[in-house]
Amino acid sequence: MICDNCNERPASVVVTQSKNGKTEERHLCDVCAAHFQPFQGDFGGDPLGIQQFLQNWFAGPGAFQKTAQPQVSNGPECPNCGLTFRRFIERGKFGCAECYNAFRKELPEVFNKVQGGHTRHEGKVPASYSGRIAAERKIKDLRRQMKEAINQEEFEQAAKLRDEVRELERGLEEGGGQDVVD
Amino acid sequence: MSSIENFLKNAVTPWMGPKGEHSNIVMSTRVRLARNLKGFRFPLDFSREEAEEVDHQVAAALEGMEDFSHIPMESVPAIQRQALVEKHLISPQLADPERPGSVILSGDESVSIMVNEEDHIRIQVIYPGLHLLEAFDRANDIDNRLEEALPYAFDGEFGYITSCPTNTGTGLRASVMLHLPALSITSNMARIAQAVARLGMTVRGSYGEGSDALGNVYQVSNQLTLGKSERDILMDLRDLAERLIEQEERARRALLEHSPMKLEDRVWRSYGILTNARVLATDEAANRLSDVRLGIDMGIIPDVDVSVLNELMIFMQPAFLQRYAGETLQPGERDVFRAKLIRERIGMGRQSGREN
Repeated sequence: MICDNCNERPASVVVTQSKNGKTEERHLCDVCAAHFQPFQGDFGGDPLGIQQFLQNWFAGPGAFQKTAQPQVSNGPECPNCGLTFRRFIERGKFGCAECYNAFRKELPEVFNKVQGGHTRHEGKVPASYSGRIAAERKIKDLRRQMKEAINQEEFEQAAKLRDEVRELERGLEEGGGQDVVD
Repeated sequence: MSSIENFLKNAVTPWMGPKGEHSNIVMSTRVRLARNLKGFRFPLDFSREEAEEVDHQVAAALEGMEDFSHIPMESVPAIQRQALVEKHLISPQLADPERPGSVILSGDESVSIMVNEEDHIRIQVIYPGLHLLEAFDRANDIDNRLEEALPYAFDGEFGYITSCPTNTGTGLRASVMLHLPALSITSNMARIAQAVARLGMTVRGSYGEGSDALGNVYQVSNQLTLGKSERDILMDLRDLAERLIEQEERARRALLEHSPMKLEDRVWRSYGILTNARVLATDEAANRLSDVRLGIDMGIIPDVDVSVLNELMIFMQPAFLQRYAGETLQPGERDVFRAKLIRERIGMGRQSGREN
């Protein structure tokens, strides 16, 4: 099947759109589908349309022909809540915060589609999080200094550095981080 | 105190008020931040115990802060839940009796924090008029204070983690509710909706189903939450809202210039119906209210306060009508009560308008 929009490339995404009680189906290719903003008027402005937009993820261009139904895997599975990537695509909702880690490799493509080509956060960062990053950097740096101290047989200094690292790590485990970093 | 005064005393919420920038066209500004906690599954999948623990933690984090009241949804009767939805203080999803959830409301109802809706936390601020940055600052302030006490789920690459990938990143959805009768009368809205979509934003009817804009009230909001800072999202939306206001004002001047008598007739005809009709269905009421509001804005109808119209858009909805009636109403009876409510409220508005 050829894309309804460009009439050139093969269609790989089906978009179902309900308008005034009538259901309309459009077959689009990857390129046109990416340009159409599914949640912005063109497809009815309904954010719930995400399931429809993503549900052909696992289906190749041939999937719409009855003969070609390739066996597709479920993709990665979240170790925390058990949601598979396939199920995520079907329902358009994550199961828990850990899903983001489990699907990290696949997510840029998802966001590319639903967030207008954007795949990285540019906004606010929680203070505790920036504290955590700083703490992690500092631990790395202290460990390097510790190694140097050991190499130069300054064991007293190395022990002091080790205690500092331990304290920082304890702070991170407790979930904070900002308190132990200057 | 008459029945209507008594009803209004308990029903009006500040965002319906006449104050605020561009308040003749902009009815309200809403900002929402979606947040989740580490260690709990999202509300779509979580257990009753997880729900209770999240609720408990959020409520504890806000303990002693301002005059917030914590209202578990199961303690609210169905009709009052519906009324909270109609006032835009909670979402229809939170009102679902099958699901656990609660709302934390500020005393003036400008802040509502939904707990265990689609996300663990949704901080919402509604202000009258066009006040995107102010509304965001208020939400951001509450967000900062919650963050001090709660383990937020945040990712260095993807930002604030949300249940739906359409909210990931900033978790920010900002929207402006606009009354655009002249652009609607002049059949410009379809063209505008298309142009708005190209800007990564969306415009849709605020009331009613789908793209149908009941009473010519539209909501413009940002679609993208990832890859742009909060400030950029808000500034882009403000620019868009200001452009829409400008176009609406231009369309109003054009109407007045090219067909003043037709406009005046339309406004007064609708006024006549609202102040005399005995049966009013939702659609007709919304459209007549829109005409009268336009008439007030343009000085054609001199002595009705415009906030009356803001209120009536809310109160003519089923749950409020039934609160006003004090009983459950069948759909046919609602139309009778809707007509009565509108007649009485406009009558009252005229009196106070004259006194002022």
